[in-house]
Amino acid sequence: MIPLIGLLAGIALGLILEPTVPQALQPYLPIAIVAAMDALFGALRAYLEGTFSDRVFVVSFVSNVLIAAAIVYVGDQIGVGSQLSTAVVVVLGIRIFTNVAAIRRALIRA
Amino acid sequence: MSAARGTMTIPGRPDVTPARPADASMDLLNQIIREPLDPDYALVAARGEPRPTNRGALVLVAVLIGVMFAVATLQTTRSAPALESERAELIDRVQAGEQAQDQLRVRSAELSTEIDRLRTSALGDDDQAVALRAQIERLSPVVGTVAVTGPGMVIEVDDAPAASTDARDRVLDVDLQILANGLWQAGAEAVAINGHRLSSLTAIRSAGDAITVDFRSLTRPYRVEAIGDSRTLPARFAGTAAGAWWHELAANRQMGYETSTARALVLAADPGLVLRHARRTEP
Repeated sequence: MIPLIGLLAGIALGLILEPTVPQALQPYLPIAIVAAMDALFGALRAYLEGTFSDRVFVVSFVSNVLIAAAIVYVGDQIGVGSQLSTAVVVVLGIRIFTNVAAIRRALIRA
Repeated sequence: MSAARGTMTIPGRPDVTPARPADASMDLLNQIIREPLDPDYALVAARGEPRPTNRGALVLVAVLIGVMFAVATLQTTRSAPALESERAELIDRVQAGEQAQDQLRVRSAELSTEIDRLRTSALGDDDQAVALRAQIERLSPVVGTVAVTGPGMVIEVDDAPAASTDARDRVLDVDLQILANGLWQAGAEAVAINGHRLSSLTAIRSAGDAITVDFRSLTRPYRVEAIGDSRTLPARFAGTAAGAWWHELAANRQMGYETSTARALVLAADPGLVLRHARRTEP
């Protein structure tokens, strides 16, 4: 419940304050969000399976976002940035799909 | 070795290692699907640690994710109208430029009419003026200052079908220059390319990918109209060097090249021809 409230508070905060992202970080924001979604759905699944640990969640979120951004950054430097971000999105997308399917099974048992 | 496994053994090699899984090459994807959850969750749960009290970091991360969502959404929705308005502004500027061009063209036509009127009134009525006027009327169709109608021939040329692969298969400015010169040589009295009348001051050039006539770019196919004697013009053109040049381009490079005669062609005046120099004659 607390993370959900925090999430909503964060969305409200972002909409109200409208912080501007530095130009240099802007290309990594979408990738960071996909990584965050992966961590989020993974946490939800772990919660439903009764194995949730907030420390693991925090660590996995931070490392996911940093690694995803770092992969895209390195790709940008060597000229394959868009391909590598596609790779990141594909891998994280598969994980999100699988986790959401597990969440659905856990919630409605179908 | 035993009869039951006989189907799986190869003669001379009784010990066959188990076959490689058919989807071994997809192992990476399989691994992602099989292990979508951070293994640490299971690890920590197995260790049976008490629930850590790290609520602060959890809330912080949740707030952070929320802010990221909001900011990204805001940025995407905010930049969309900006791009749209930029595009609209560019279109507006193009349209304004075209309008200004049209106005200037109308103004230029008005001024030409006025020059004609002033010239007529300045010439007066004496014998010399009549002779001058006759000369003007004889020369202006040839020079290109007035619109002309009459019979003639039409040549339509185009790039070769496979032009995208080889630049030499495209119609170049020099090809059109040769074509126009050949038509003059064959006795054409007035020539126009895609509706742009050629005069002695017309430049046929390439600019980027397009060919320009008097700095207005053409789009293919190129339709060259020439007013002249429609019975002799095609044959005389075919006899010129330009005719041979284009015949070869059509035969060897598959460029479009079609000639036909026309009963009545209408060629507009060249708007680029203006009065550049005027001198008052001694009375």
